[in-house]
Amino acid sequence: MTTIAALESGTRFVVRRVALAREVGKRLADMGFTDGSLGTVVRKSLFKGPLHVRIRDYDVVLRRSEADGIEVEPFFEKAAKDA
Amino acid sequence: MRDGSGTRNSPRLRVALAGNPNAGKTTLFNSLTGAHHKVGNYPGVTVEKREGSVFFDGSEIVLIDLPGTYSLTAYSLDEVIARDFVLLERPDVVVSVMDSTNIERHLFLCLQFQELGIPVVGALNMSDEAESKGIAIDGDKLSLLLGMPMVKIVGTRGKGVEALLRAIRSAAASAAASPKTTDYGPELEEWLGRIERLIDSDPAFAPPYPSRWLAVKLVEKDSVAVKRIGVHELHAEIVALCGEAVRWIESHFAKDAEVVVSEQRYGYIHGACAETVARSPVKGSGATETVDRFLMGRFLGLPIFILVIWGIFRLTFALGQYPVAWLDSFFGWLSALIGPAIPGVYLHSLVIDGIIGGVGSVLSFVPLIVILFFCLSILEDTGYMSRAAFITDKFLHGFGLHGQSFLPLMLGFGCSVPAILSTRTLKSPRDRIVTALAVPFMSCGAKLPLYVLLAGAFFPKNPAGAVMAIYGIGVALAGLSSLLLSKTVLKGEVTPFVMELPPYRLPTLRGIAWHVWEKSSQYARKAGTVILAASILIWAITTFPHPPQDIGARNAEASAYRTIQPGASEGEVAAHLAAFDAGRNLEYSIAGRLGHAIEPVVRPLGFDWKIGVAVVTGFAAKEIVVSTMGILYKVGTGESENSKGLRSALLADPIFSPLTAFVLMLFVLVIPPCFAALATLKAELGWRWLAFALCYMLSIGWALAFTAKSIGSALGWGA
Repeated sequence: MTTIAALESGTRFVVRRVALAREVGKRLADMGFTDGSLGTVVRKSLFKGPLHVRIRDYDVVLRRSEADGIEVEPFFEKAAKDA
Repeated sequence: MRDGSGTRNSPRLRVALAGNPNAGKTTLFNSLTGAHHKVGNYPGVTVEKREGSVFFDGSEIVLIDLPGTYSLTAYSLDEVIARDFVLLERPDVVVSVMDSTNIERHLFLCLQFQELGIPVVGALNMSDEAESKGIAIDGDKLSLLLGMPMVKIVGTRGKGVEALLRAIRSAAASAAASPKTTDYGPELEEWLGRIERLIDSDPAFAPPYPSRWLAVKLVEKDSVAVKRIGVHELHAEIVALCGEAVRWIESHFAKDAEVVVSEQRYGYIHGACAETVARSPVKGSGATETVDRFLMGRFLGLPIFILVIWGIFRLTFALGQYPVAWLDSFFGWLSALIGPAIPGVYLHSLVIDGIIGGVGSVLSFVPLIVILFFCLSILEDTGYMSRAAFITDKFLHGFGLHGQSFLPLMLGFGCSVPAILSTRTLKSPRDRIVTALAVPFMSCGAKLPLYVLLAGAFFPKNPAGAVMAIYGIGVALAGLSSLLLSKTVLKGEVTPFVMELPPYRLPTLRGIAWHVWEKSSQYARKAGTVILAASILIWAITTFPHPPQDIGARNAEASAYRTIQPGASEGEVAAHLAAFDAGRNLEYSIAGRLGHAIEPVVRPLGFDWKIGVAVVTGFAAKEIVVSTMGILYKVGTGESENSKGLRSALLADPIFSPLTAFVLMLFVLVIPPCFAALATLKAELGWRWLAFALCYMLSIGWALAFTAKSIGSALGWGA
């Protein structure tokens, strides 16, 4: 298990758990970061700035502190086709 | 489900328009209501409320635009407003506007409105875009599965709007809430059922919404729902049962109960979409990503961003100066035209100097605001604004600011009024407050004349360096102040930075025209009333009371002047006497007395009463500081920063040294901005924050000036 912040840009992932407290955790879950949802790290900015992530087929920007709290599994094309 | 309280005597339907940000809600609202709409605020908060109406088949449908939200939790003000509106005002129908290209996340909000027990109509917006992306939605089947009508529309082109209105009418006619509701899966349903039955057991409690909704919210540990249940006769039992439910759910699913609720809701949506949404991959949809590679790129992103901001800054103030000058000369012409027709010296002065001068100063900002919001709307509507926040967030976050704070801060160099107005692009109230309070530290254009005057007189070797130093100090203060505020007063309200990046879209001229009109007219109305009153006040305190005529003193002054300037013409003597009168009047007026009264406060900074008066009149507009000093130093009534007379008068005054000049520049930089900016702060943040800002800036300004004065004197620069 790793987190979004630890992934290289271009990596696809499956969300497992949002390990963040109340408001942030709920907000991320409401925006679609839920168990089993599929996403991609599109780009990371310089100097540990925010990350550009695609989740459920739309794009969001997260700060590293938030991305660090989203536990994911790297996802490889062959494993599954479900989003 | 609906009780008798909803009866109305008019056949008007009240319809709430809800949806995620970027769902195209505002576009739909504008295309439905056309010119028939007004903008206000939700009671007690500064969240905009748009209300408009559309006539359909001979009857009126009133539309209320709810704030754009992703969910209906108790965490964010916008979300509480949206749900309270539906719960308390009971509109006849809620229209949930959804982006068809991202249907799952948009249904997530839509289903929460359904749970509130009001008829919901789903508007599947941007259906053309979805089709071109290869997303086919079976609307009829989706309606059937979710138990609510679904209408495909294209808001930008008005397509499907009539079908939508018809669906609204029939949903309102049946007045029945949906027979279906979200299924949270067997484990949660078991607990929800038990909580719901317990809530229903008190007939006196009878909430105006389904008790099931309350049960769901209690499992989500929603603070507002917990408060609501406080009046229930079995309050303690309900709280105990909910606690038990939350503990069970959290140990069973190994995550927070409120997150489990979201996941189960998404599960339900995913099930419905699996049967109704077909996706066929389409090539060539990567245009947004291609553009992003440049605009958000590691190396090009920042230079492009700086170029864009510089461009807007230049455009606003370079292009804006022409209409500003036209307005200026128009008001000059107006004064000349109606001036002679006004009887009485005071009435004349009130109308010309007070009212026309005041209204003129308000209106002269309007061209800047129009140009600025034209540019901002383009950035916002194309989707660039959120990219810009991505680029600058890292740097600004270090100071407790937000990526989107950059633009307001930059604009602050021009004028605080549009800068504070542009903080609206920030979504969280906390970020908006920190940014708006940092804006006045960015030295505005109106303060420049004073800097030029003082730097030119007292730092003749390097005036530009002195002015740059003041600007630099301002920027440093903006950063430090934001850091301080976010660590103290605004601590603990940190909102997560999770921001959607909408795909690039071509803005419509109509949409932009709406934005510009709304912002400009709002400014003219809101700030206009306050500034008009303030201008009249400033006029009054600088005019009254009038000193008694003193022919002797006047003649003495005239002969003294003739002695110093033997060859003076009659005109020169008259001009000198006019300046003498103006100075005497001002000193005798309330403003002059105020200057004397606050002298003890500014004395430690090395200032005398004259500077006190200039600081007081400076609240009307910072440019006035220079002309006030011109009057007080009795060199003339229309002095500018380049005036030789004022410079030499300042140099001759023993109170002024290079140190005093520097301290004064620093003081004017930091003390509260002009009335126009203060009125804007009040309009955006409310009285409480305005009062805070006033005290905050006054104390920092004084403390900083005092420190500079003390250090300077200790180092022997004061001589």
